[in-house]
Amino acid sequence: MIDNILNGFASVFAVGPILGIVAGIFIGIIFGAIPGISAIMAIAIILPLTFYVDPIIGITMLLAVYKAGIYGGSISAILINTPGAAASFLTALDGNALTKKGQAGKALALSLFSSVTGEALATIVLIFVAAPISIISLQAGPIEKVFLLLFAFTVVGSLAGESIARGLLSCCLGMLFAMVGLSTITGAARFTFGYTELMAGFTFTPMLIGVLVMPEILNVVRKRNMASQTLSLQRSTNPSDNRLSWREFSSLWRTLLKSSGIGTFIGALPGLGSSTAAFIAYGEAKRTSKQPEKFGKGSLEGIASAESANNAVCGSSMIPMLTLSIPGDDVAALLMGAFLIHGLTPGPMIFFEHTETIYAIFAGFLLTDLFLLLIARSGFRFFIKVASLKRYFIFPCVTVFAFFGAFTAGQNINDVLILIVFTILGYGMRLVGLNPAIFIIGFILTPFLEQNLDQAIAIVGGDYSRFFATPFAWIFTALSMFFIYSSVRLKKRQQANVT
Amino acid sequence: MERRKIDIILASILILLSIIILTNDGLADGGVETDLGSLFLPRIVACFIILFAGTIGLQSFIKLSRNQPLDEHEVISTTGFLGVFIYIAIFIAYWFFVPYVGFLVATPFVMLAIAALLGGRNWLVLTIMSVLVPLIIFYGSRQFLRVFLPTWSL
Repeated sequence: MIDNILNGFASVFAVGPILGIVAGIFIGIIFGAIPGISAIMAIAIILPLTFYVDPIIGITMLLAVYKAGIYGGSISAILINTPGAAASFLTALDGNALTKKGQAGKALALSLFSSVTGEALATIVLIFVAAPISIISLQAGPIEKVFLLLFAFTVVGSLAGESIARGLLSCCLGMLFAMVGLSTITGAARFTFGYTELMAGFTFTPMLIGVLVMPEILNVVRKRNMASQTLSLQRSTNPSDNRLSWREFSSLWRTLLKSSGIGTFIGALPGLGSSTAAFIAYGEAKRTSKQPEKFGKGSLEGIASAESANNAVCGSSMIPMLTLSIPGDDVAALLMGAFLIHGLTPGPMIFFEHTETIYAIFAGFLLTDLFLLLIARSGFRFFIKVASLKRYFIFPCVTVFAFFGAFTAGQNINDVLILIVFTILGYGMRLVGLNPAIFIIGFILTPFLEQNLDQAIAIVGGDYSRFFATPFAWIFTALSMFFIYSSVRLKKRQQANVT
Repeated sequence: MERRKIDIILASILILLSIIILTNDGLADGGVETDLGSLFLPRIVACFIILFAGTIGLQSFIKLSRNQPLDEHEVISTTGFLGVFIYIAIFIAYWFFVPYVGFLVATPFVMLAIAALLGGRNWLVLTIMSVLVPLIIFYGSRQFLRVFLPTWSL
């Protein structure tokens, strides 16, 4: 494994991947810092540009956008109490309180160091855990994979949706849309209604941009009459307020380690995501803190716990995707799409079929942390200035990039029509409480389910009881039931708390 | 706008579509014979759609019939919807005209229209931006990505 890691570093230490990482970090921080634009939006728009470069460059660039975007969300959270990403909500509580005390520089520095610490630790776990898990998951045959995929649909659908029914309905709709076009198993044309344009199914990139990115723009358009706040960094006259001392940072190492661990664990579970990780880590840090009363009023521990946990999710959310082919959240689903477009099928075989590429991507992950630290540290003022641009400068450009991204996928103007249709669908889904991210996960995983189901049926023949002859079937069925039960309980408890 | 009524309408439509998937064999055309058939998985998914859409529709119907007070997430605010419709109309016009007038001609107008929609009145800067961005994208994609955006064809 060490040889593979060293080879990975050798591949990534080249002009192309490094330029990709640097560009990705710039784009990610800027997009993350602008309220109303998220990291996922940046990844979806940048995705088509990566089709034409080597997978090592393209994927490391997308991962750099992801990591930097999650961190960028904390800039607007700290400076104007408006989280650029949902996961930065708790950072806004303590970070903005520090800004009001004239300690914005300290809050931004701590947020950066905590983000990088969380990301680096989670990446190390990813590197050392993913390959061994993949060896175990290689033992799984088509029957086990069918149950595993059903488990993934259940968990993601029941945990991530507004309600269990809405989450699972979103997943089913995604599955149905994935079945439009020629069946890869039988070759039959399904739901094409005689339109040859539908034979190849819906093009992934325009659909993705339509469902995940464009509704965010529509939200901004809808709220266009609301005043927008301008980001600005006020320097305090007291130098210690503008920086984070080594003593302050080292006093937080327990919180950082614990929160990174929580973030890594939560990220490895499908369906929970970075917001959940930040909330759990923040709660745990407050519970064990010597000064819990400071939380929400400018606590350094609060910022460290929330930021390290939500950034740790970036690395560990790749574990289920790379080892089991299950994207845990919307960003992982998008990255899985990127892997597929680049000819890399996420799953246990990726460690054997594309060893050099995958370890180069891992090395790129670690390198991204280093560059993020350097670039963000030296360019606070620049990023704040760019992120402060008026929305009538930003969103016309984003619209054109979305159009360009959709067109680039197949150099076909009909793909722009797909973008428009899925924009309306994605926005409508948000309005009625359906979850577009689960829709995308359903869309991506359905071909795998269909293929494995067909193989499983061929294996069992007419004796369907053989489906339950494997212990995996019982384990995953039990786990699915458990997740639905715990999700019902969790939602009932949340409702009780509200009332 | 009350989301419960939309839930009931949406659930009815989805259930109807699912019933069509379950009963119409003409939705799959051609292909080889297999144990499961081409419509096996779509039909399983359709059954689940009936189950979940039915649950959502039924819950909303019960709440509606009992006149239960609306939760925060059950109200859809229509404020600003006009802007959304205008934006979508601009995008549809963009898609329609690009094959005829080309990317370089259509894009500046679209960018200016969206900027105006978002309250931009700084016309000089906006015009410069609306001309420069398409130029950079057009020639950048041609040179570096080998992506050829539509040009004037009238």
